Amino acid sequence: MVASNGDARAAIRGWLQENVTGGRDVANDELLIENGVMTSLQTVELVTFLEDEFGIMVEDDEFDEENFGSVDAIATLVEGKAA
Amino acid sequence: MPRPEFTLHDLLHNALERDPQRLAVVDGDAEYSYEDLERESSSLGAALVDAGVDKGDRVGVLVEKSWEAIVSMLAASRIGAAYVNVNPLFKAPQIEYLAQDCDIRVVIGDTPKLEELQPKTVETAFYRGEKPQGKAAKSYVDVAEALKGDGLKADRGVSEIDLGTILYTSGSTGMPKGVATSQRNVVVGAQIVSSCLGNTPEDRILSALPLNFDAGMSQFTTSLRAGATLYLLRSRLPGDLLKALRRHEITGVTGVPPLWALLIRSAKSLREGPLTHLRYLANTGGRIPQANLDELRNLLEPAGTKIYLMYGLTEAFRSTYLAPEEIHRSSPEQGNCIGKAIPNTEIMVIDKEGNEAAPGEPGELVHRGPTVAMGYWGNEEATRKAYRPNPLAPPELLDVERVVYSGDTVTRDEEGYLYFLGREDAMIKNQGYRLSPEEVENLLIASGLVNEACAFGVENPAVGQDVIAVISLKDTGGDGAIDSIREYAINNGPPYMIPKEILVRDELPKTGSGKIDRKGITNAYTNG
Repeated sequence: MVASNGDARAAIRGWLQENVTGGRDVANDELLIENGVMTSLQTVELVTFLEDEFGIMVEDDEFDEENFGSVDAIATLVEGKAA
Repeated sequence: MPRPEFTLHDLLHNALERDPQRLAVVDGDAEYSYEDLERESSSLGAALVDAGVDKGDRVGVLVEKSWEAIVSMLAASRIGAAYVNVNPLFKAPQIEYLAQDCDIRVVIGDTPKLEELQPKTVETAFYRGEKPQGKAAKSYVDVAEALKGDGLKADRGVSEIDLGTILYTSGSTGMPKGVATSQRNVVVGAQIVSSCLGNTPEDRILSALPLNFDAGMSQFTTSLRAGATLYLLRSRLPGDLLKALRRHEITGVTGVPPLWALLIRSAKSLREGPLTHLRYLANTGGRIPQANLDELRNLLEPAGTKIYLMYGLTEAFRSTYLAPEEIHRSSPEQGNCIGKAIPNTEIMVIDKEGNEAAPGEPGELVHRGPTVAMGYWGNEEATRKAYRPNPLAPPELLDVERVVYSGDTVTRDEEGYLYFLGREDAMIKNQGYRLSPEEVENLLIASGLVNEACAFGVENPAVGQDVIAVISLKDTGGDGAIDSIREYAINNGPPYMIPKEILVRDELPKTGSGKIDRKGITNAYTNG
């Protein structure tokens, strides 16, 4: 299933709530890697989710802290690809 | 004249003498020479003396991996103080425990981290960033100012038997244990590892592991000893790892198995552009799943990278290594070979009666050599258990030398190669971290919602072991209790300590002596 672009932030936050934060919703600008919210292995799982959900491909060198630092950053990456 | 290598700062002296302009540390876009390292560690050392740090005192390093963290270790060493690198994933309860456990009165930390701590956790905090508003320390000093100040005036006469650092590792009492490590332990560790890996001043070494981890500190100490350049990498995402390896033309990288799982995600890029500069890759902190090791070899060996497999425990730094040309021996079919003793070290295999086990017979891996640390800080009982007299010493020298009992069961073959069979205790290996079940249990119970808890590890090649917890609740009625417990754990413990699964039972099964039956619960879980 491919979700529409506008849903990127909600989809990412929903995934984090379910798989990472134990039910807590995160802010769009919360620092996910720097503040240790998400481990690198959870980030790998998130990439798999994004690729399935949005039908995109995250390139090797895009899989970095700049693109995965916050929900906003991840959504920007996803939207740039799905556009 | 090069100095004999007795202390960490002797290594700095020699690197400086060899080439003061050579890059010592690269942190992001900032580059620092050995001359910078000499000058700023002297300034910070003087500021620590002004803050009342005496010889033998402990200095907490709470700044994330950075230039300041590197300077802090050398500054402490130069004034005969011991640095305590704190796990960057630790939350306030663990940091406060450490500060109290080894009586840390002075810390060097990032402001946001300092703001999380309770009032009066320490006497003086050197802060990086804005001046903290909170009362974690009685007085505050700006690190940036301290690095610019006048240097050290007097030499405190530090020797190799002085305490160099305390390395905290997971403890079975439910709280981390501090391994007291001498200057000699640190320096000899650097000599051994840099000679195994053949490090030279031309090396560009990647620091990908945290500095609080003995194997992570090792990239810094080996780079310093070789007079090489250390590149600091904080991110553990594969894109950043790949870019650092390429951009800096890294010649040596050391990591734990989950890091290689991330590296091989970049297989496509590695095939298109092989890492021709990468001279070696060294693994430590657990076994690489065979499929991942095969893939790593396929991706890296054609470009000339040699793969070293190392085994060690914090209590004695490094113990064994398997040389690249023998790597085929590490496969499960060949019996999980962990190689032979590292240089300057003897590995004994001791059976239950305290005798040397015959080839092929199982026994405990016992480490003898100059990296055997001083013991656990403030914990004589645990020290006596792990650090014991050499069982094979002649009677005339009984009880003059301590060796480390690893708790790992191994065998040795006729050629002297060692094979890993398993561990005697319940330690969990998750994402390269060694974790005691009691620490997980304490964290869950501290939520106030849990009556009894039992944590254990379940094999998962991707991470080593998954952490699983079976609990009983204090108040059975509470819906959403699991979510609350999980949220508490996430906010108060490091990520690798958070159970993947939390299962609720009315009551936990007990052994004959009334203790929670961890073995029975683990077996029931793994057998479905």
